[in-house]
Amino acid sequence: MYAVLNKYRTAFLIGLQSNVVYRWNFAIRSGFSFVQLAVVFILWRAAYASAPDIGGFAFGATLTYFVTLIVVQFFIGAFNEDYLINEEIRNGLINQFMLKPINYFAYRFSIFTAARVVSGALVLIPLAAALPFLGHYLVLPHGAWRVALGVPALALGGLIQFAIAFCFGMLTFWFLEIQGFIILSLALESVLGGQMFPLDLLPPAAFRVIQYLPFYYQMYFPAAILTGRISGRTALHQLPVQAAWAVGLVALAGFLWRRGLRRHTAVGG
Amino acid sequence: MSLQRYAAIWLACIRYTLTRTLMFRGDFFIWALVELFWTGVNLLMILVIYQHTASIAGWSEYQMILLVSTAMLIQRLLMGFFWTSIFEMGRNVRSGDFDFVLAQPGNPLFMASTRKLDPDSLVNSAVSLGIVIYAAHRLGLHPSVLDLALYAALIVCGVAIHYSVLVLTVALVFWLKHAQGLEGSYFTLADFGRLPSQAFRGASRILFVWIVPLVVVSNAPARTILHGFQPAWTAWAAAMAAGWLALAIFVFHRGLRRYSSASS
Repeated sequence: MYAVLNKYRTAFLIGLQSNVVYRWNFAIRSGFSFVQLAVVFILWRAAYASAPDIGGFAFGATLTYFVTLIVVQFFIGAFNEDYLINEEIRNGLINQFMLKPINYFAYRFSIFTAARVVSGALVLIPLAAALPFLGHYLVLPHGAWRVALGVPALALGGLIQFAIAFCFGMLTFWFLEIQGFIILSLALESVLGGQMFPLDLLPPAAFRVIQYLPFYYQMYFPAAILTGRISGRTALHQLPVQAAWAVGLVALAGFLWRRGLRRHTAVGG
Repeated sequence: MSLQRYAAIWLACIRYTLTRTLMFRGDFFIWALVELFWTGVNLLMILVIYQHTASIAGWSEYQMILLVSTAMLIQRLLMGFFWTSIFEMGRNVRSGDFDFVLAQPGNPLFMASTRKLDPDSLVNSAVSLGIVIYAAHRLGLHPSVLDLALYAALIVCGVAIHYSVLVLTVALVFWLKHAQGLEGSYFTLADFGRLPSQAFRGASRILFVWIVPLVVVSNAPARTILHGFQPAWTAWAAAMAAGWLALAIFVFHRGLRRYSSASS
């Protein structure tokens, strides 16, 4: 057991080193995310000017939601994992994983975790810089239960994000060019994952349907727990649903990997 | 080289792209669908917000749709004509394949910017234009021919400004070799174009409306359709287009000095 864990620990450490090389990349991206927050701030402040209450929340609560979403994204979001998997399959680099006693999903997940440690740490810099301007707008609700439920929701959200990215990467076995699918999934996740607007602003029927989809549990669910957009009772009911989606998507990723390998041709001497 | 020669090169690139699109028709349909979906996402956001409020900075729902679709029209035109080429420029500088562009007999920025077109984005620019027309119809607007000509000219200025911002963003690769995906930062900046200028207050108004050109890009043409000829906005958009294009060309050539070829 220890030997197995040690294997992925090494992959994690290698991932940590290689992601530190791209620290400027993450730093600039996190900086730009806060530039995007300026767009969100200006748009929603203007919307709140003619309606002091939107969806039952004041401007501060909505801004807190978007700030939380950005921070959460850098800690658990899948950035380009689907693209990296696509490259490894297309270039035949996955051939080595068929010869080694290593699980490709677990290996990639170790590197994903390392990348999020680096990007998560770097997002704290622009957050700290923005706090003097945003601090008095932010309203994080109290309650230890929000942290107790928010942390597992974040972990499961990260697993769901990675599993979806992995599944999209697996499409390379069937379609060599998957960039279009990736951007389409990004658009889906932006809307259904609550990045464009808090999902509870949708008409009630649409909101109910979305709660059955995995995108809801990627980032919206943990962010909504932490920012007070859902009650403890709802969070407790939905946490098992999130866990079920995580298990289901990991199983789907494994299935696609096995089926995809049947189509794969490993070329080389 | 004469302008005619450059036009001939660009036409040759367009012919090559169209032939390539006909070869990969499935790819074209997927990308066209992706962009159509993004257009829908942007409109959905406006519709959802207006379910809860009557106005955003004094702009009604259809005025806002007109503004957002104008911003999308400019962005789709930029993506149709330049995005793929400039995106590949960043990657080629990192890999050293930029040598291929430098070896061509022409201005490096022109050669690097015009290699490929994205017909799917151009199709979607027609969709965005359709939404502009629909929003204008719902608002009961009847712009004059002069207003329409001015709108078209301001769209060209907008594409020039977006092109400059994209080149400036990608040119960072000359200094930051390990930075990947910087091109995506352009989309963050472009989001400012979807906001009405009245939404900006205080220092942010000076910065984003009058210094950083991305708000004027979409507001100037949208206001022309909504309120007729606006001399100050028109002059400012034209001046911004010229100034930022000059800055982008300057920064690109400064960056080019730092480019070290990958060949032996």
